Amino acid sequence: MRLLVVEDESLLRQQLEQGLTRQGYVVDAAEDGKAGLYYATEYDYDAAIVDLGLPEIDGISLIKQIRAEDKEFPVLILTARGDWQDKVAGLDAGADDYVVKPFQIEEILARLNALLRRAAGFAKPKLEFGPLNLDLTAKRLTVDGNAVDLTAYEYKMLEYLMLHPGQVISKTELTEHLYAQDYDRDSNVLEVFVRRLRQKLDPEQTLKPIETVRGQGYRFSLAES
Amino acid sequence: MSTGAGASGYSLQSRLLLVFSLMLFLFLGLTGPVLERAFRTSIEAGAADRLQVQIYLLLANVEEQDGEFYFLQDLQEPLFSQLNSGLYGYISSVSFGELWRSDSARTFTPPDTSFLREAVPVGETHFEVMPGQDDTFFRLSYGILWEDGIREYSFTVIEDAAPYYSEISNFRRSLWSWLGGAAVLLLAMQLLLLRWGLSPLIRMAADLIRIERGERDKLAGSYPRELQGVATNLNMLIESERRQQQRYRTTLGDLAHSLKTPLAVISGLLPQLRDKQAGGDSAERSEQLDTVNEQLERMSQIVSYQLQRAVQSNAAGALARHVDIAATIHKVLGALQKVYAEKAMQVSSEMDEQAQFTGDERDLLEVLGNILDNAFKYGKSRIRISVSSLDTTHSAEILVEDDGNGVPTEKLEFVLQRGARADTLAQGQGIGLAVVSDIIHSYNGEISIEASELGGALVRIRLP
Repeated sequence: MRLLVVEDESLLRQQLEQGLTRQGYVVDAAEDGKAGLYYATEYDYDAAIVDLGLPEIDGISLIKQIRAEDKEFPVLILTARGDWQDKVAGLDAGADDYVVKPFQIEEILARLNALLRRAAGFAKPKLEFGPLNLDLTAKRLTVDGNAVDLTAYEYKMLEYLMLHPGQVISKTELTEHLYAQDYDRDSNVLEVFVRRLRQKLDPEQTLKPIETVRGQGYRFSLAES
Repeated sequence: MSTGAGASGYSLQSRLLLVFSLMLFLFLGLTGPVLERAFRTSIEAGAADRLQVQIYLLLANVEEQDGEFYFLQDLQEPLFSQLNSGLYGYISSVSFGELWRSDSARTFTPPDTSFLREAVPVGETHFEVMPGQDDTFFRLSYGILWEDGIREYSFTVIEDAAPYYSEISNFRRSLWSWLGGAAVLLLAMQLLLLRWGLSPLIRMAADLIRIERGERDKLAGSYPRELQGVATNLNMLIESERRQQQRYRTTLGDLAHSLKTPLAVISGLLPQLRDKQAGGDSAERSEQLDTVNEQLERMSQIVSYQLQRAVQSNAAGALARHVDIAATIHKVLGALQKVYAEKAMQVSSEMDEQAQFTGDERDLLEVLGNILDNAFKYGKSRIRISVSSLDTTHSAEILVEDDGNGVPTEKLEFVLQRGARADTLAQGQGIGLAVVSDIIHSYNGEISIEASELGGALVRIRLP
């Protein structure tokens, strides 16, 4: 999952960046509205966290401009004042949720999780596809009720695929959403991950949850239950 | 008084004075010439009449024989006989020119002699002002038909116009000195009127300076009707500023005091934490860290509470505007439905779209935001909103109900306790309702929490 963080206070920006990266998100951080807008229009994000009081372009204008560019990823706003005028203005401009400063990173993570799930069209924090059960909050996978141990990258890949079920996800898209910008895109690594995932999810090869679409990418092909 | 370059730099007094002087000079500048012209016309008409009489005089006494004109007796008007007297008589005809001239005209040469051959229709007169080299003359010619019924002659009398013109210039002199005097008088009166008329404004400015210096605390005394409104509004503004300042001061005081307790708790814990850093009871340590965290949260809560109290506007009635309640509710609902999208709340509303709130929109947003947020947060699936305007008192009633668990009776009083210093708030106690209660009471409104028939809480707000 690739996130955009736009926050002008450097300490807070670093904290957010670290906290989110630790959770397995790929984070681009911008220190003002202008840089934020550049990132938002230039790259494809799964969600953005935007502070309302930003230099260059204020948060509300930034959100409006992002929405005007037809970017539909969820936006979480951070507000220092915490009055309803700010909240309503931000949500009205196109944001999806707010967190009042000061906050704890856990709160951001929880809201973000909910937003990402909602954006993918899932109402519950658990994705269930046949025997596969992915808990987005605990970041845990069970198959037939048995916990499956996944590495961080394996989890990230599976989560991304399961949040876009039935869609063909190209290797480029996967790389973009799983790795930081400067990552050397070697698609062999992805193939290795997919192979390992398949083994872990479906050792007997009866389910075949991840399909390879030749020349195009991968598709999570189980039906939601 | 400022003397800026732009038009805005002129004082009211100089503006009015300038305009009035311009109008005065325009008026007098037009009146003077008109009067002078009228006077000249009447003088000339008088001269023509007089000359006409002289012509009749000549006609009465003149005799003619063989084309020669003579007078049997001396003319009644001695000026005709006196050389260069200034009054000259001529008899002429178109064909022969001059036929006779009076003794007075013996050495007189008129500036223009063409009149001697001028054809003046019988019975008509022709008046003319003849400008000469040095002097100006009036001339009146009268055409007659001689007794024989055949011959036509012109009788002409010329008179030196100097005496008339000196009369005109005398008139002009006195006219302009009168007009000038009147102008000065009018300007002086205008100045006095302005002084008098503008004195309340000057007094108000002086009063404001006194307020600025702190010698007074409001505009006192009576002002003319036109200024009374301004004075009232200014007083209101001053009062609201003062209250705001007061609020900042109390807020700052409250803030400082209420932050001291958690700070003391944390700094009390620090030495213990430092001691145990080398390695100690990890359970105890994590408990202490929890306390630090708790206190930090409390401080953050205190700061937001006091912050909201400080920025909350102060309901000064006449300076506030009308805010559409229903529109504001829709705005807040739009925002909350996004935030609580997962709950898929069913919101039913019955709103009087005319209902208005007189005050700051920010305050209304704060009240509705907190109340509706609670409804979304605690409600299970349904929210009911009703807005009605109470005609008799021009006030509005807002009801917000949810189907949650409601507020326990023993907590009812506490959640609405207003002005409570945040350090007295219970742990985990939200500040939302305290702020709401503060705002509503500052507008002299009422808020109460009851049990809803939906099962949850019913918040009843009455706004004046």
